[in-house]
Amino acid sequence: MADINFRKIDIDQWDEDALHESELYEVDPRDPQQVLEEAKARQVAVRSSLARSDISGALTTALESAPYGPNVEEAKTITLQTLLTILNSTKSTEISGVVKTLSPDTQDVLMKYLYKGMAMPGWGDISGSVLLGWHEKLTEVAGVGCIVRTMTDRRIV
Amino acid sequence: MAPEVYALSQNPITCHAFNADRSQVAVSFNNNDAQILERRGSEWATTETLAEHDKLITSIDWAPNSNRIVTASQDRNAYVWEQKQDPETGKLVWKPTLVLLRINRAATYVRWSPKEDKFAVASGARAIAICSFDAENNWWVAKQLKKPIRATVLSIDWHPNNVLLAAGSADRKARVFSAYIKEVDERPSPTVWGSKLPFNTVCGEYNSPSGGWVHAVGFSPSGDVLAFASHDSTISIVYPGGPSIYTVRLPSLPLVSLAWTSEYSVVAAGHDCRPLVFSGSDQGWQESGTLDDASSSKAASSGFGGPGRLKSNAFATFQNADSRGQSSGNVADTKPNTVHQNTITSVRPYDAANGEVSRVSTSGVDGNLVIWDANAISALTGRLGGAQLR
Repeated sequence: MADINFRKIDIDQWDEDALHESELYEVDPRDPQQVLEEAKARQVAVRSSLARSDISGALTTALESAPYGPNVEEAKTITLQTLLTILNSTKSTEISGVVKTLSPDTQDVLMKYLYKGMAMPGWGDISGSVLLGWHEKLTEVAGVGCIVRTMTDRRIV
Repeated sequence: MAPEVYALSQNPITCHAFNADRSQVAVSFNNNDAQILERRGSEWATTETLAEHDKLITSIDWAPNSNRIVTASQDRNAYVWEQKQDPETGKLVWKPTLVLLRINRAATYVRWSPKEDKFAVASGARAIAICSFDAENNWWVAKQLKKPIRATVLSIDWHPNNVLLAAGSADRKARVFSAYIKEVDERPSPTVWGSKLPFNTVCGEYNSPSGGWVHAVGFSPSGDVLAFASHDSTISIVYPGGPSIYTVRLPSLPLVSLAWTSEYSVVAAGHDCRPLVFSGSDQGWQESGTLDDASSSKAASSGFGGPGRLKSNAFATFQNADSRGQSSGNVADTKPNTVHQNTITSVRPYDAANGEVSRVSTSGVDGNLVIWDANAISALTGRLGGAQLR
């Protein structure tokens, strides 16, 4: 029998006209270093928002121009940590109200992070029940369309 | 006026195209054949089967003035069908002419140009074949639009000037091309899309907002505005003069087909099983309701929870069985509460009055063909994404 791993051969390497990952979305114009610094700056801003218990403001800050694409892993990690701090410190009764105040853009990015969190069980202080609680409330407000956008978007956070 | 519903088949309807006076319709029931159906009272009866393709038919279009049908298929061919007298019986029958598309992947979508002297075939070969009739050799020849398409082209729409062509493709972009054929077209007058238009000029390129495949494109009746719907559950309206793009994010599942009904409104439908109406102007666009009000008010009051409206009653049945041990509560009522019972695959203008489309036709995976009054818009209150869920 022939090599059973033939399905794993990357046939695109022989195709001059292959469609590459980088053509599927617009690359972040920012420098990775700059993205990292912005993520750190947002972490500080979020802490002060949380101190004023302004959860909606904290979420908007944390999810603004979220890092995506390759080479910004550290910034992505910091943003996820920042976000988890907010999610974990919100009372479950407040979630609905907070989600409604977010802009549609922010809602879409929040959904991406909820899925990112659910894809990393046991990482940091991720709690499945917290994420699911937010997921339920966010879907009620933004609809299943918000989930569809998370799944189609190649600008992965 | 209640929508007219015709259950044509148990199988999905891939696509449909009416003739000029709407007495006949060409449909494909998800197979290699196209059927010509004739209206007999409130029924549709098959009068002829167009069997020439070797693989699934993907798209059909019927030219209203020249009374010709064009079919596109996964067998990489397109046929132009014309009604000719059969030499033996003397009856009028549809005769096919093969079109040399020169594509090496499936043909996905076909549309006649407004003057009916050309048609465009979208394909999986990252190309659009623009076909025109070569009278000298008595056949249809194709010229391909290739650059800069990077993936399968899923839909196309002609500009009213017979030259510009919009295309939506799986590389998550909607584009506007010039499909100017020197032998066929007169030099077009300048439009908002540009003035010098040699073949394959890219007059516009627009990304879908969150990177979804562009399923549907359409020029407004004037041709000055472009709408496209993509798989990220959004519909975008492009004003090239602006340059501004208005995007409406839907709380529901993605749209796959759209039709302009006037310069200020679009009917679009897809995986959510009901036609939605969007309206606006160069000041902004929003969802203004749905044409499907038949029984959906029941949905809001039923109060069942579940992931999405589509399966909410079926979901509730299982949920009851799980949590309360009830096995037969509402078993009979597991149907979606929309007129179409599955994804709508095609929306087309049906009837016009006072320069606006007054009725639209839709066909879907449920095998139904439905004709809607385009002005019977009911509000979506209580049925937006949030309310559907609880």
